[in-house]
Amino acid sequence: MKTQLKIALFLIFTNSLMLLLFGGSIYYFLYNYSYTDFYKRLETRATIAAKYNFDADKINAEPFKIIRKEHLEKLSAEKEYLYRVENNNDLAEMAQKSELPMAFLKEILNKGKATRQMDETFFTGIRHESNKQTHIVVVSAKNYYASNHLLFMRNVILLGVLLIALITTYLSFFFSRRIFDPIKHITDRVKQISKDNIHLRIEEKKNDAEISQLISTFNDLLNRLETSFETQNNFVSNASHEFGTPLTSIMGEAEVMLMKQRSPEEYQQSLMSILGQAERLNQITQTLLYLAQTGYTNKRVNFEILRTDDLIWQVKEMIDKLNPKNNIQVDFSLLPENPKKLKVMGNRQLLSLAFTNILTNACKYSNNKPVVVTIASSDDQVFLAFTDHGIGIPESELPFIYDPFFRASNTRNFEGYGIGLPLTRNIIKIHNGQLQLSSVVNEGTTVQIRIPLAKIP
Amino acid sequence: MERTILVPIDFKVESLNALRLALNTINEGKVNVVLMYAKIPTDSISDFLFYSPDEMVDSLKTNEFEEAIAILKNRYESLLGSISVELFHGYSANALSNFLEARNIDKIYFSKNYKLKPGKKGFDPTPLLKKSRVSYQEVGGESVVAERKTLSTLFNYFGLEIANH
Repeated sequence: MKTQLKIALFLIFTNSLMLLLFGGSIYYFLYNYSYTDFYKRLETRATIAAKYNFDADKINAEPFKIIRKEHLEKLSAEKEYLYRVENNNDLAEMAQKSELPMAFLKEILNKGKATRQMDETFFTGIRHESNKQTHIVVVSAKNYYASNHLLFMRNVILLGVLLIALITTYLSFFFSRRIFDPIKHITDRVKQISKDNIHLRIEEKKNDAEISQLISTFNDLLNRLETSFETQNNFVSNASHEFGTPLTSIMGEAEVMLMKQRSPEEYQQSLMSILGQAERLNQITQTLLYLAQTGYTNKRVNFEILRTDDLIWQVKEMIDKLNPKNNIQVDFSLLPENPKKLKVMGNRQLLSLAFTNILTNACKYSNNKPVVVTIASSDDQVFLAFTDHGIGIPESELPFIYDPFFRASNTRNFEGYGIGLPLTRNIIKIHNGQLQLSSVVNEGTTVQIRIPLAKIP
Repeated sequence: MERTILVPIDFKVESLNALRLALNTINEGKVNVVLMYAKIPTDSISDFLFYSPDEMVDSLKTNEFEEAIAILKNRYESLLGSISVELFHGYSANALSNFLEARNIDKIYFSKNYKLKPGKKGFDPTPLLKKSRVSYQEVGGESVVAERKTLSTLFNYFGLEIANH
């Protein structure tokens, strides 16, 4: 069932239920009230009748009668029964005469007061005692109010409930449609967007905070998707270019060699160059493989507790071996006193690969000018900052630095493939960390990494 | 020996460098730190009605600032007692000496190179602090860039600002 229909039905059901309860209770209580009230009226009449018939002497009885006639409305089919009771035989006689049931008369005699309904006629009887004599006075009448007014009332209530239920039904459908129309609109619009027209966006709505929030969230998502699509496209072209260059030179080298007979030295030289190019190809493939592996987070990497300062030292030693001219300084001025605050959960190989990438880049692009590594830690994360004084990255190119194979325009004099930084970022992402990069051309670059501390009890 | 020092701040990471350099000069004992931010008191009566210094400090604090304090706490764990951020409202030397006396301030530290850049309604209390009876010391000064960079390189926003300097 559609949510729209569900909401409408729910509204109709609850509203009708409430209406029925309301109307029903009005009817029920009024019905009850009209009966008790009617019996009370009959009782009053019976009391008055008893008074002027048995209590008062002849002179006083007249005004009673007049008052009763003038002030008490004559009920429809009103009847009075007056009997003197001396023993139980009288009751049977009485019942025969008046056609009142024996049980009713007994009840009056025993309890002093009783009411009864027979067909449409209502009876109230009282026991009256005066001058040592017992009398039974019964007044009966038809309840005109109950039979007519209540019926009318019931019809009005039923009609009202029906009418309001109809209006509620209409309103429920109207509102549920009003709520879901914009969502349907969004669905229709999003359906239109496919890979070919991913530039399309949903137009923003005013005066509707939730819906416009949803729309802008969708649009943000589309923006990101579009960027990643573009990156993907660029990746293929960049990758083919990167693979193409060494392959072309291998092919060219081989073709030239095969043109004629050459000396063994020439073959050796040529094979050396081919080997160099093949090594380069191998390196690219290896790094790409790493990039792909780290990009999919569903593959669980083995984590252990590592000390970040330890890792930095190991990486520094390794770079010292590869590039003895480097000038990496580790700044311990903010190092926390408690070594616990340096421990993170991480994969040793991946993290050292990330740090190596950053540090070799820092050394490479600054021609071995000093590179400062700062380590600090707050209560929940380790801060690492790598500052160099190299060529920097032009501001306009900063958004693309995480695209595989992207290389900034000022890096022509340096060798590289442009896979290092995306790989590093993937690695930091696997560790739930953040990598931020700020740079100014010809002044230097700062790479900041934050990794959450390991939770050691 | 336990003592309390005061460092004026402007809620920017750089202003905490004065604290770092101050702590470098102290070798032993326990140091309680009061970070003071000077703010012109409001002249609206309804603002006074709902005046809450804690809320005001919370709204002025940035994430970077809090993290920088956490870094310093970890760095000088054995030296530091407590760090509290306090607001100072007032213009006169008397008001300030009351403030300092109430908090038992033993010494005030300034950075030689960093001039406070207080936000809206804030002011630089340095001249007022220098006139107070409590002794003060200026720290830092060898290399402007190096000194200021240490802490702020860790925070992107400030890192950029320094780089543009």
